[in-house]
Amino acid sequence: MLSDNELLRYSRHLLLEEVGESGQHKLKQAKVLIIGMGGLGSPAALYLAAAGIGHLVLNDFDEIEVSNLQRQITYQSSDIGEPKVEVTKQRLQQLNSDIKVRSINKQMPEQQLSMELTMADLVLDCTDNIATRQMINKACVEAKVPLIVGAAIRLEGQLMFFDHSQAESPCYHCLFPSSEEQTLNCSNSGIIGPVVGTIGTLQALEAIKYFVGLPSGIKNKLKLFDGKSLDWQTFAINKDPQCPVCGQA
Amino acid sequence: MKIQVNEQALILPNSMNLEQLLVHLEKPLIGSAVAVNMQVISRSEWTQYNINEGDNISLFQAIAGG
Repeated sequence: MLSDNELLRYSRHLLLEEVGESGQHKLKQAKVLIIGMGGLGSPAALYLAAAGIGHLVLNDFDEIEVSNLQRQITYQSSDIGEPKVEVTKQRLQQLNSDIKVRSINKQMPEQQLSMELTMADLVLDCTDNIATRQMINKACVEAKVPLIVGAAIRLEGQLMFFDHSQAESPCYHCLFPSSEEQTLNCSNSGIIGPVVGTIGTLQALEAIKYFVGLPSGIKNKLKLFDGKSLDWQTFAINKDPQCPVCGQA
Repeated sequence: MKIQVNEQALILPNSMNLEQLLVHLEKPLIGSAVAVNMQVISRSEWTQYNINEGDNISLFQAIAGG
């Protein structure tokens, strides 16, 4: 049951037949692990907290730098030098004190990540390097936890959703098998804030849809976003039978 | 053989598989993904996929930023 305050706070959700009171209750029960509190994680965390996701776990190990403020919209100039997860936790609790927020201010080793996944219904990969992305993917495959992956550089975004609760699901490794850091990131390529914000926002949208039971438009798909033309391309991803991460299932 | 690569027309001098196409175009093999007609072809299948006339091929890079 939702309280009177919750009925008021989430009234715009309750008006939607796709959410309604039962959907809002599902959001309240949901446990989401967000890894990376940068340009993707900032809007994703704000939207999920505002939406009433009942349990958020925030993971990052960085402190806020002045160069983050161009796109990481949770932070203010006065936050420079503070740990990202602690500042985000405080902001989210100010935004919505009904939800539980826990912070993990370190780079999680595999074992700790696996332990966290036993308590998570869904993971958002909002990180900034391939090695961590491969580690998160592997752990989610093993734990059978659905994973929504976002990435962005320059004026380009990538978005995908792998429902690892389904044995036939492909994985991030099927698409990008390399873990070598030949890839592009915000530090070496640049990024425009609203591009990465768009992708993070859509990660939050897909998370909300997942919990209220709406089908995802990106399951087992890769969406490429072109911030110049605003065009999207959609590619189907099949499971790679040779995939060393998910192929043996 | 006429194909499309990233929405540009391209004429291939001879038949080739996807891995040979990347080499032909001097694209990096590491960190690249390839889709044919909007279907991603896994890296392990690049040498088995022989390009057909009219294929619409998309090449893109893994991006890590966030």
